[in-house]
Amino acid sequence: MKGVNRVNSSATVNGRSSSAGVNGSIQVRGLSRTFHTTVRRPGFTGALKSLVSPERVAKQAVSDVTFDVAPGELLALLGPNGAGKSTTIKMLTGILTPTAGEARVAGVVPYEERERNARNIGAVFGQRTQLWWDLPVRESFAILRDIYEVPAAEHRARLGEFDELLDLSSFWDTRVRHLSLGQRVRCDLAAALLHDPPVVFLDEPTIGMDVVVKEQVRGFLKHQVEERGRTVLLTTHDMTEVGRLAERVVLINHGRLILDGTLDEIRRTFGSTWQVRATLADPHTPVEPLPGIALLRREGPQMVFGPDGEEAPTVHQALKRIIERYEVSDVALDEADLEDVMRAAYVQAGAV
Amino acid sequence: MSVSAPRGWRAARVTPLGELHTPPRMTAALLRLTVQVVLVASLWRGLYAATGTTAGLTRDQAVTYAVLAVLATRIRELDQYSGRDTVQQHMHFGTIVYWYLRPLPPQRYYALRALGEQVYGLAWASAGYLICLAAGVVDPPTSAAVAGVFALSVLLGQWVQYYVMLVIDQLCFWTLRNGAAIMILIFAQNLLSGVYAPLWFFPDWFITLSRLLPFQATLSVPLSLYVGRIPVSDAAPELALQAAWVVALALFTRLLWRRAARRVISQGG
Repeated sequence: MKGVNRVNSSATVNGRSSSAGVNGSIQVRGLSRTFHTTVRRPGFTGALKSLVSPERVAKQAVSDVTFDVAPGELLALLGPNGAGKSTTIKMLTGILTPTAGEARVAGVVPYEERERNARNIGAVFGQRTQLWWDLPVRESFAILRDIYEVPAAEHRARLGEFDELLDLSSFWDTRVRHLSLGQRVRCDLAAALLHDPPVVFLDEPTIGMDVVVKEQVRGFLKHQVEERGRTVLLTTHDMTEVGRLAERVVLINHGRLILDGTLDEIRRTFGSTWQVRATLADPHTPVEPLPGIALLRREGPQMVFGPDGEEAPTVHQALKRIIERYEVSDVALDEADLEDVMRAAYVQAGAV
Repeated sequence: MSVSAPRGWRAARVTPLGELHTPPRMTAALLRLTVQVVLVASLWRGLYAATGTTAGLTRDQAVTYAVLAVLATRIRELDQYSGRDTVQQHMHFGTIVYWYLRPLPPQRYYALRALGEQVYGLAWASAGYLICLAAGVVDPPTSAAVAGVFALSVLLGQWVQYYVMLVIDQLCFWTLRNGAAIMILIFAQNLLSGVYAPLWFFPDWFITLSRLLPFQATLSVPLSLYVGRIPVSDAAPELALQAAWVVALALFTRLLWRRAARRVISQGG
């Protein structure tokens, strides 16, 4: 399956650029990572054999992955569990060296200049907290401020901004061990951005959170991308989040890049995603297929249209064309949600 | 914050601040120290009831040694576990990745944190020492020279202790868990450094074995200097040996840090 690889762009950042104008682009070229693990043989004899002569196998976690993220863009890195998303993020954050290929994050090769890269990035890894368990949240923020050498006034201003968006002040004097998951992840997000990094990596940041907090986090991320011009690479299994936040997605499975394109492209690529049910004012009007739109069936006076081929329009374009062509008295849209689309994408990608 | 403060200095506050935010932990530490001091003082006084000098040590020397050894545990074993801040816990929860995601090398973070712990522990031990001194439980140093040499030896001893604990923590990068190693270490360290009993009470082969390991340098040497078991005139070689352990362990742990980092970046945390 062929996706649309974007050429690296030095697009102007929306709004204010973060971190002293560092270009927050991400370039990934042929990135691969192989892990070597020991296979344990089954049974008692097998276990003994494994002790004497362990069997080593190579597992290709990421294989020849290439993509770009422009400054100020939010890209969703999607794929089923074990697809290689986290491994990719770990290579881009500099805590894992690739076996082959190259990556640049804000102009820095992360695994070669770990500390320089650390100043340019912020990261949240799911439910793993970087806050100090026994200390009030604000004390963790102060330690991080000191580590990243953030001036006091800047730190105060940024905390104020994050407080407005994430409502932190109601619990930031509480010790981390007493926070709820949602409160903790909000604090972790703030902690990851306190030093104003141009690039942010978020590995399943909203996992296990309730809908209200999820929405708050999404609003926060949107603000960081649109208003602060941060580049965000997000992995998630939450398709509402993808639909709400990402214009572009990269889909990987079995360590390989399957598709790099917009959500519309994914919808088009992975099967029928919409139906338009139009009730004609005159049921005797002869109905013919329109370009890219097939007449799927008739249900009395109701005609059911669906996409036809690769040139099929989006549901809204199709609706416009149908209304322009026929006089309709009633119309209804059925659009497969992104979850269904991604399920189809994962299944098809798995078969590649 | 002063301009000259080293970057990341607040890491030094992590463990002490965690304890200050948990009064029950402080109460428990205070209670433990009080009970232990009373018990060891009574024990050694009881043991000396029938004799004036044993293994070349007077009663007051033995009590002073034992009580100081108890107070020193406050510098040696601060609780990182409750704060989920041991290396083993970071490996277990996968949060060790954050140590490698900051512009502060993990070894510097570890050292700053340990420095804070030891300064905090020293404040406790010093307060305990002054109380015991005022109560007549321990003897004061016999001269200013003894006090000075003792202070220098304590500093070197704690430095060795820091590296020993670091080696055990670094083990986690290969074994993920170090619970068993820590239990063995704490027992061996307390035994071989003279926490349970001054080393002169042990057979010669044990003392020889103890000299081949770094543990004696952590506590037995400074306390022996304090109580006069090692005279100030013989202090130089002992201090030199402590310094040698510091250098050797510094080089060894530096090597381990490098290998640990390679291991993290080959396994991805």
